[in-house]
Parts: sequence; structure tokens; C-alpha cells
Amino acid sequence: MTGDVAVAAAGSGGCHLFSGCGFPAPGLQDFNFKPIFTIGAFHFTKPELIAVLCVIIVVAVFWAAFVSPKIVPGKLQSLGELGVLAVRDQIARPALGRRGDKYLPLLVSLFFYIFIMNLMELIPFFQFPSMSRIGFVWPLVAVVYVLYLYLGFKNQGAWGYIANMWPRGVPWPVYIILIPVELLRFFIIQPFTLGVRLFANMFAGHLLLSIFMIATWYLASFTIGLLFAVGSAAMVFFVFGLELLVDLLQAFIFTTLTAVYIASSLEAQH
Amino acid sequence: MATVSTRDQQGPGRDKPGRGERDVDAASRALGLSTGWNVFSYLIAGMLAYGLIGWLIGRAVHVSLLFPVGMIVGLAISVGYVIYRYGRAEQVSETERGDDR
Repeated sequence: MTGDVAVAAAGSGGCHLFSGCGFPAPGLQDFNFKPIFTIGAFHFTKPELIAVLCVIIVVAVFWAAFVSPKIVPGKLQSLGELGVLAVRDQIARPALGRRGDKYLPLLVSLFFYIFIMNLMELIPFFQFPSMSRIGFVWPLVAVVYVLYLYLGFKNQGAWGYIANMWPRGVPWPVYIILIPVELLRFFIIQPFTLGVRLFANMFAGHLLLSIFMIATWYLASFTIGLLFAVGSAAMVFFVFGLELLVDLLQAFIFTTLTAVYIASSLEAQH
Repeated sequence: MATVSTRDQQGPGRDKPGRGERDVDAASRALGLSTGWNVFSYLIAGMLAYGLIGWLIGRAVHVSLLFPVGMIVGLAISVGYVIYRYGRAEQVSETERGDDR
């Protein structure tokens, strides 16, 4: 937390209540970073560093856990198994049944990658969820989108996949009315909400944390503002706890919906 | 991954009472999550689809009012469809459970 406050302090530029400057509210500028290095037109920034680190962390942990599996598992293997079984029992099996085991590597990777990426907003020094930049979310959505479309066309056929979207036993004029709604929902809105939900939650969470951290620094002075600074500091801890929950929940929702979309591609839903 | 299945087969929790109930809970949670976001998607899609149609027709006939009218019509269609699709599913599942209240 000390790191968080230090960054907040730096962000507020030494500005305090009654010192003649206004509240340095966080905004979109807090989501832009100076490049760490540049190769041609490509700027490597902090969010990209975090994304690469998260990939390394997830791959390294699972590789270390399962590189030489034992019948009586060690600590890391137990932890890895716990993670895999949690995703299997809480996400893959409920949505897909035993067929879900085939997609378990994808779901486990998605869940832990998103979760670790989200957690980075709470870890001192990093303190930024890369998923709050929507460009980091779309590739994940693209993977899921292409996968469930491919599975749908493969398992149900092109015509069957489209035809199975509509309910059975309704008068034909209803089909005509529903065509634009169903097509837009399936091909545009469904992947759009999958991505925007994750992005918006991370964006809002980071902004909320920043507001209370900067407010704590801004209000900390030998005036009545000190009282409010204490309240704001308490809110930092509250939002910190809340964000921990949101980070986990968003990874869970993204992965669960991925499993549900895969399930709907494997068989017709009515 | 092989060790995962080994642990699953040999683990103490395998025959633990209540496991089936936990599975049903997890399945209904996944279904609920999917249904909730589907309903949300239908409402947005209805407004957007018929809003777009209304806007295109309005642009052709120079009646800008058709855009909001299209959105409202789309929302009405979505609400009706959601009630038809998910309201009916609820009734069917209650019948299947033998719920005769």
C-alpha cells in the first residue's frame, strides 16, 4: 500500500487542500504511459510489460507444477491441481459436462491469465490492470469468438448453426421480426459485451482506487481536511478489498461465459 | 494433466456426500449467468437493430422521428421475446420437476 500512496502522491504533485490548487482528479491521462523503449513505430509501455510478465508467471507456475508430476503431489503441484480442478468443477463441467475436459487447458489459461492481469492493479510497483486498456481485451475475445464460431459451424453445419438460434414452434412472421435482433445479438453484441464488461470493470476499479488515493493525499493537512483524509484512506482499503473480489469475479465471468458459448456451439440451444 | 485425473479419482472428496448438489449449484450458476447476459444482449440488440432500421428508413424518407421509434419498437420486440423464451423455459422446467403448486 505504501507504493500506492507514493504513486498517488506523485500524481497529485504535492497539492493539498487550502494550498491554492484544485483537486488533481485522475482521468484518462492516468491510462497512458511513456514508452519504456521504442522499436520503430512500436512503443513498449508499462501495460505491455505487465501483460508479458503475466504470461510468464502463468506459464512458469503451471510448467513448474506439472513438469514432473508425482503420485503424491508436492506443494506447487497441489496448488496447480487445486487451480485446475477449481476451473474444471466450477466452470468447465457445469457448462460443458465431461466434454468440458477437452477445453480445460484453454479455460484454465484464460482464467488465470485474466485473474493475474487483474490482480496487477493491487500489487505495488505495477498498480495497473492492463485489461483497463481495451486493446488487451479484444485479442482474448477474438480467440473465444473464432473458437465458438468454428465449433458451431463444425458441429451443427453452417445452416444448422444459424437455424438453431431461433425458437421452435412460433409463427413464421415472428422469425422475420427476430432475424435482425438474433443476428446482431449473436455476432456483434455477445462478443462485444464479453469484452466491454471486463474492460469497464477494470477501468472503473482503477479509477476508483486512484481517486481515493489522490484524495487521501490531497486532504491530508493540518485542517479539518484531515478528518476527510482518514475517511478517504479507509475507502482505499475498502475499495482495495472490493477490487480483489472484482478481479476474481471478472476472470470467473469471462471464463464461464466462454464455456457457455462453447457449449452452445457444440449443441443446439432452445 | 494426467495427475489431475489421478487425484480426482483417488481424492477424498470424490464420494463426499453433497457433491452432486454442489455440481447442480455450479451448473445453475453458469446457466443463470448465461441467461442474464443473454437477456441483456437481447435488449441491446433489439434497440440497436430496429434503431438502425428506423434510422435508415428515416434517412430515406426524411423523417428523423423513425430512429427513436425504431429503438422503442426494437426494445418492445426484445422484451416480448425474452418473456417468451425465458419465461416459457421456467414454466417447462417447473412442469418437468413435477412442481404442482
